[in-house]
Amino acid sequence: MPAAGRTYWLTEPCRIRREDNSIRIERPDGSPVHIPITDIRDLIAFDHIDINTSALSLLSQNGITLHVLDHYGNHAGHFTPAQSMASATVVRRQVDITANPQQRLTISRSIVLATADNLRWSLDTDLLDPALDQLRTALPQCDSNDALMGQEGNLRRTAWAVLDTQLPPWLRLNGRTRRPPTNAGNAFISYLNSLVYARVLTALRSTPLHPAIGFLHSDTDRRRNTLALDLAEPFKPLFAERLLKRAAAQKHLKETDFETDVGRAALSRNGRKKIAALVKEELATTVYHRTLKRQVSYEELIHLEALKIVRLCLEEKTYKPFRPWW
Amino acid sequence: MNPHEPTADPLGGVHIKYLRHCPRQLWLYMRGYRPEANSDLVAFGEVVDATTFTRRRHVDLGEARIDWVTAGAVIHETKSSRTPSPAHEAQVRHYCLLLERRGINIRGGILHYPLIRRTTDVPWNDDARTQAEDTETEAHTVIAAPTPPERLTRSKCRGCSYLDYCWGN
Repeated sequence: MPAAGRTYWLTEPCRIRREDNSIRIERPDGSPVHIPITDIRDLIAFDHIDINTSALSLLSQNGITLHVLDHYGNHAGHFTPAQSMASATVVRRQVDITANPQQRLTISRSIVLATADNLRWSLDTDLLDPALDQLRTALPQCDSNDALMGQEGNLRRTAWAVLDTQLPPWLRLNGRTRRPPTNAGNAFISYLNSLVYARVLTALRSTPLHPAIGFLHSDTDRRRNTLALDLAEPFKPLFAERLLKRAAAQKHLKETDFETDVGRAALSRNGRKKIAALVKEELATTVYHRTLKRQVSYEELIHLEALKIVRLCLEEKTYKPFRPWW
Repeated sequence: MNPHEPTADPLGGVHIKYLRHCPRQLWLYMRGYRPEANSDLVAFGEVVDATTFTRRRHVDLGEARIDWVTAGAVIHETKSSRTPSPAHEAQVRHYCLLLERRGINIRGGILHYPLIRRTTDVPWNDDARTQAEDTETEAHTVIAAPTPPERLTRSKCRGCSYLDYCWGN
């Protein structure tokens, strides 16, 4: 998604107001910030925000999504414009493809495999190779999404154990936990995963696809946007695991950036800010795209991934999930 | 007919412009993929439209929106481009055709290029009418096709808001 505004990360408690046709963000300290509405693509609220209907309707008119993350970094919800880009033709094809078990399974399988490869790439170690080989042999035999998810879970467990060897003791995961995450490492991963999910959802909103009709994740259990969860999968290693490794290696994160309790951990306000800066920088990182023949940011890679699904729906082009080529 | 294919709606100016630029663009547009909102060039065009000839009123036909019409039924169209192109003329001819079908006696069209301060006349006669009708049929054929037309060569896709879709594999 080139041009047309940028993402604003609201890391501090603030109040969002409408002033004529622009947005005024009032922070507890200092003077308010004025942002022209055309400069906003979406807003991500990390902390408490106050917003009123006139501001919301302005956001809606301009097609801006507001994402809300809760205290633990889970994606608590989002506000999206009433008018969406959805197209009946595309959604019908999407339903057809996902209703066909064979086609659905092929796509799920390729997502799981790509995610595993990306994990291996982001951890940059051959300790994961035996587990990967095992996954490769097991995948063709899996004949349901549950079996696929099980295989993915196995690989993920191994990968997190490997990741632990590359981290300082206080940041280790010691087994993945969610809702709420139990330690600092898990809190970090949860946070990043929901950020990636929010980015994918925004990307999907700019395409005619329906975010709830997906391939890999089951679409009944948690009533989430299945397609967004699916497409987030191959990108998670690129952001979550890799940034955790980097933050640890550069001693960028401190223990004080987390609020650790018995059995639960969350990022402190300062930690949230640090991570927002980290992710923002990461999303803006560019690589050369070989067929587009230009630099694309990681953010745009997510958008291009969503377009692949549109291509699958409109032209039956095979979906090849994202793999880093650099 | 395949229930997934869009039905034949009356065509507007955008359809004709897209057909002339790249049939594939028209095909995708009709199937609901419309990335123009994120395009800088489209935004620029809107600004040019909003800041030039501001005393004139748009004429809304439902399927098409004509920039403005002056006495004797002369159709005017503003373009933010700096290079006149056959696509622009085809668009004006299509507007002429739409208005004529509504029983208006059309004299012709004028294309305005405010950035280079030039205008181009688009004559309206039997020849132009045939051309406009042919273009319309061609557009309907493209839209009805079950598969999208091939993409153009890479160099011709510059500035198109569908570039990410067509080339980002």
